[in-house]
Amino acid sequence: MRDAILIIGGGIAGINCALNAARYGTKVYLVDDTASIGGMMARLDKTFPTNDCSICIEAPQMYDTDNQENIEILTHTEVRKVKAKNGGFDIRLVKRPKYVDEEKCTGCGACVEACPVSIPDEMDGKIGGKRKLISMAFPQAVPNMVSLDPACRSGEMQDAGACIGGCAVDCSQCRECPIALCVKACEKEGKNAVTLWQSAKNVKLEVKSIVVATGIDAARPAGDLLGYDLYDNVITGMQFERLMNAGGPTAGEIIRPSDGRHARRIAWVQCAGRGLAPGKGVPYCSKICCMIATKQVIITKEHDAAVETTVFYNDLKAYGKNFWGFYQKAVDAGVRYIRGRPYEVQENPETRNLVVRYENLETGKIETHEVDLLVLSTGIVPNERNAKLAKVLGIELDHLGYFKEKDPLTAPLETSVPGIYLCGGATGPIDIAESVVQACAAGMKAVLRP
Amino acid sequence: MNVPEVVEYARGLDHVTLADEGRWSCSVDYLSRMQALIREHRINRVVIASCTPRTHEGLFKRNIQQAGMNPYLLEFVSIREQVSWVHMREPEAATQKAKDLVRMGVAKAVLLEEGEEIRLPVKQDCLVIGAGAAGLSAALNVAGQGFQAIVLEKSDRLGGMLNTLSLVRHDSHHADAAQWVQSLAARVYETPGIRVITGAEIETIEGYIGNYTIGLKGGNGSPGERLHVSTIVVATGMREISPEGAFKHGENPRVMTQLELEKRIRSSKKFQPPEDREETNDLRSSGFHPEVKNVVFIQCVGSKNDTRGCCSIGCHAAVKNALALKALDPDIQIHILYRDLSMVKEEGEMLKEAKHLGIRFSRFPDDRYPEPVENLDGTLVVKTMDILIGKELQLPADLLVLTVAFQGDDTVEQLKGLLKVSANPDGFFQESHVKLAPLEFPADGVALAGCAKSPMMLKESIEAGIGAAMRVSIPMKRGYIEAEGIVADIDLTDCNQCGLCHKRCPYSAISVDADKNPRVIKALCKGCGLCAADCPRECITIVHFTDDQVLAQVDAALLEAPEKKIIGFVCHWCALGGVDMAGVSRLQYPVHARLIRVMCSARVSMKMMLRAFEKGAAGVLVAGCEFPTCHYISGNYAAESRVRRMKKKLARSGYDPERLINVWCSAADGPKFAKTMKDMVKQFNLDNAS
Ligand SMILES: Cc1cc2nc3c(=O)[nH]c(=O)nc-3n(C[C@H](O)[C@H](O)[C@H](O)COP(=O)(O)OP(=O)(O)OC[C@H]3O[C@@H](n4cnc5c(N)ncnc54)[C@H](O)[C@@H]3O)c2cc1C
Repeated sequence: MRDAILIIGGGIAGINCALNAARYGTKVYLVDDTASIGGMMARLDKTFPTNDCSICIEAPQMYDTDNQENIEILTHTEVRKVKAKNGGFDIRLVKRPKYVDEEKCTGCGACVEACPVSIPDEMDGKIGGKRKLISMAFPQAVPNMVSLDPACRSGEMQDAGACIGGCAVDCSQCRECPIALCVKACEKEGKNAVTLWQSAKNVKLEVKSIVVATGIDAARPAGDLLGYDLYDNVITGMQFERLMNAGGPTAGEIIRPSDGRHARRIAWVQCAGRGLAPGKGVPYCSKICCMIATKQVIITKEHDAAVETTVFYNDLKAYGKNFWGFYQKAVDAGVRYIRGRPYEVQENPETRNLVVRYENLETGKIETHEVDLLVLSTGIVPNERNAKLAKVLGIELDHLGYFKEKDPLTAPLETSVPGIYLCGGATGPIDIAESVVQACAAGMKAVLRP
Repeated sequence: MNVPEVVEYARGLDHVTLADEGRWSCSVDYLSRMQALIREHRINRVVIASCTPRTHEGLFKRNIQQAGMNPYLLEFVSIREQVSWVHMREPEAATQKAKDLVRMGVAKAVLLEEGEEIRLPVKQDCLVIGAGAAGLSAALNVAGQGFQAIVLEKSDRLGGMLNTLSLVRHDSHHADAAQWVQSLAARVYETPGIRVITGAEIETIEGYIGNYTIGLKGGNGSPGERLHVSTIVVATGMREISPEGAFKHGENPRVMTQLELEKRIRSSKKFQPPEDREETNDLRSSGFHPEVKNVVFIQCVGSKNDTRGCCSIGCHAAVKNALALKALDPDIQIHILYRDLSMVKEEGEMLKEAKHLGIRFSRFPDDRYPEPVENLDGTLVVKTMDILIGKELQLPADLLVLTVAFQGDDTVEQLKGLLKVSANPDGFFQESHVKLAPLEFPADGVALAGCAKSPMMLKESIEAGIGAAMRVSIPMKRGYIEAEGIVADIDLTDCNQCGLCHKRCPYSAISVDADKNPRVIKALCKGCGLCAADCPRECITIVHFTDDQVLAQVDAALLEAPEKKIIGFVCHWCALGGVDMAGVSRLQYPVHARLIRVMCSARVSMKMMLRAFEKGAAGVLVAGCEFPTCHYISGNYAAESRVRRMKKKLARSGYDPERLINVWCSAADGPKFAKTMKDMVKQFNLDNAS
């Protein structure tokens, strides 16, 4: 299959690259190492600067991708080996088991209901998000199917109450399971899709070009940053995004983790952790955080105009079309923007409220501000799997950990290896519209290769 | 709910030949059984009662097609998301609702007509308007596929803005702008398939994708030449907005804009541009009496105010030029006066370099811009307040550089009319969708690239140019564009040539002929139904969502106990997504609604709403995408205004206008949909009604 391309990463950039290339007439393999395509956008609530609902605009594209004959979606799949050959590439992929048969699972959810163990969700744990050991990534997931947490199968979840994992033999030895509740629930539905004995599969491909679209991540705060580890009511911007999402763990209610009460006073700290020692914070401006916070305050005000909102910031990055107007909308809605640098946070043990000490950059004075909920805008970091992937692909990362362009001024999106291109968050912190532009461009380059 | 009972009920409905229960109707096994049944019983309409059309309609359409049927003869009824998952505690009422939904589905199905994808041929030729970095990148990529590209430039040379720049930078990468243009232009001239027309302007644009005719004025082509192309890339760039006398610009020769400074740096000895030697002055001898020793930059001139936002590139430009001046003369003292420094990611390195070289930065208050005062010898002193150190400063300036805002090209005003697209007050074109369609206009086959959309850096302009090439190349490569069979259809019998449909179509898919008769260019139609619902003479219908079909659903829903039922018209993209989300989340809400899917809330005509009231419905819901989202650009706005008008009409006709409810619901907002249902039931007192 020489006239095919491989796209690594199924976020909004990978999806758009795939749709463009497939409509152009090229066969596309779209690989993501998580259980569903969708990437960061699938977790977001609204999107700046229009406040379009994120999943409303992304899901139709995800379904389109699924329905395109020219696109083969491979989820839970990693790129293991890449060899340049005859002007193209030989690829070896490994498809990690979901322990569920992709052909048979219909996403009915019977197994999820049957699973006895709920654990804090990786993404939403601090704000009360929970998931079962067998679960769907999110309701609109593509492919629309569940996967089983390997920790359950390996027995690590026995103490938490998992129904399997304590057997004398490993699951891979059996061809049916008499004890797993998810297996039984699925049998009862007549599908037999849960297959605990599934193993990893090798997939080999031949392609003419590769597009890397592995995206970005929201930085996790260093534990001691402004009370993050100490206090329940200090959360990250990413967690706030989930909090206000009608599809998130609180069904869109903006409530405090400590007591589930609606937050009446909320503050955002921009550039949280910036300028601190290496490893403590993101050392560069991540470009999009000012607009993310502005979006969050506007939505908060839309939920309830009486909520008091404050944003502590340094330099306002309103760099894109209509971004300034978006900021003004927030100001008009009564949001306070204070040029200030918070450096210490203390909790009132009784009220669980937080007292923020900050330097007001306009007056030079030290001031304090009390809130119910504090949101840390910690910045954007490269996807942590980039380093491994760069090695496999034989391309370089820049000193910040994003993929390096060979010459951004004359040949943007090209890497040092001819035939390997970049788009979206793989190139640096970026918003959705710019990701889509790059996706179209990288798609053009990829299909144009002879 | 009791599925066998629903199947039994379906079996007894008129026109139903066969009703079959499949446990997992989307499984491979059942799909082949369905094909066999269709063939065996020679079935000509299919109703699927299962999950949701948003995810599975495509699958079932393909399946009946494989069984030899026209795929448009399928109707989808959602009994999982709309019944079993949301009415778990009321099995009897749920079963009754499922029966109603199936009856509505059958009522529509018997009226379904065959549909087909509609194609319009597209040839392999593209006009690129504007020969800047974006336009040339687009042309090179179009031509790189063996297609024809015509580059049209109104000035006499290629390169656009780059012709006025000194050097371009992107973190540690430098390039000389003149050389950059030269090598790009050389590639353009070398590439077969590219024709360059300079010095020409566009006079007329007629037609649509696959079929554009462009009339030219002037230029090196043959006089009065008309170009015939299939697609267009608009890459007309931007220019500086003159400060119009502010900060002594135009009064004092030492005050200049960033681009005016670039020109001087460009012509100074150090850079030696290969062409363009008409300005040979270097910085020191460029008409300034003393040696230039002190330079002050003022940022955000004309930006970040009530009418205009951030200029997007000014911070980068200022730091870059400050570094260039330092390279010419390390002794120059430079002060950059700013409001917010917008230097992101790797640009932070440039900032560090600048600070290391002693370039000073000072922040002034948003509401108090620095003020230049003239000395007797013509030099300046800039008075400013540094809010970071809390001090008033007086900075000597032999040169004062203003970082001004940008606006679209002069020709945008004319072009936007010719292309039937819109632009903002600063002359930047409005893209089709801010997030997911940033490179195109609503009309198919016309792409938008580079600074014509908004100010951006060179790298971004090139990316946009290449991306725009992709957008127009898809139909050129395929040789056609294709529209789904859900399109508008006009019956001219009653048409009074009012032209409303032509004016209101967001996709320019309705043209009018010399006699003012409208005609749908089917391949361009997206099937939203705005025209059909608005047509005062009811001449327009939408295939697959005809008036008759929708009214038949309304009638079927209200066949029994209409006073307990709510008719809901929900748009496919968002509101139905919210309904599905309520289902997936197992939110429980009252059973009274009978939902009818339309592609866009704009399809819901007054006649449809009225019919529901005439048949005795307790209430009517029109639900569409939350503003500003709309799959069809602005259909929900049209729906909102129509509902407002409908309420007045209802009052006049003796119905209670409060029983018509309008809700905008995102596809993530299951809770909102469930709450709407609860509120309506409460408001209409339906639980207690006998
Ligand atoms: C809190 C927050 C709020 C935001 N709000 C907005 C907003 O309002 N408006 C806006 O425009 N932008 C916003 N953004 C930015 C926006 O999310 C990004 O611009 C966009 O989602 C980037 O898309 P992407 O496809 O490049 O990356 P991603 O969405 O991150 O997708 C990358 C995909 O690649 C997969 N992947 C990664 N590594 C590998 C590998 N080695 N092998 C296989 N697959 C891999 C990942 O699993 C993922 O699915 C926000 C970001 C954050 C963090």
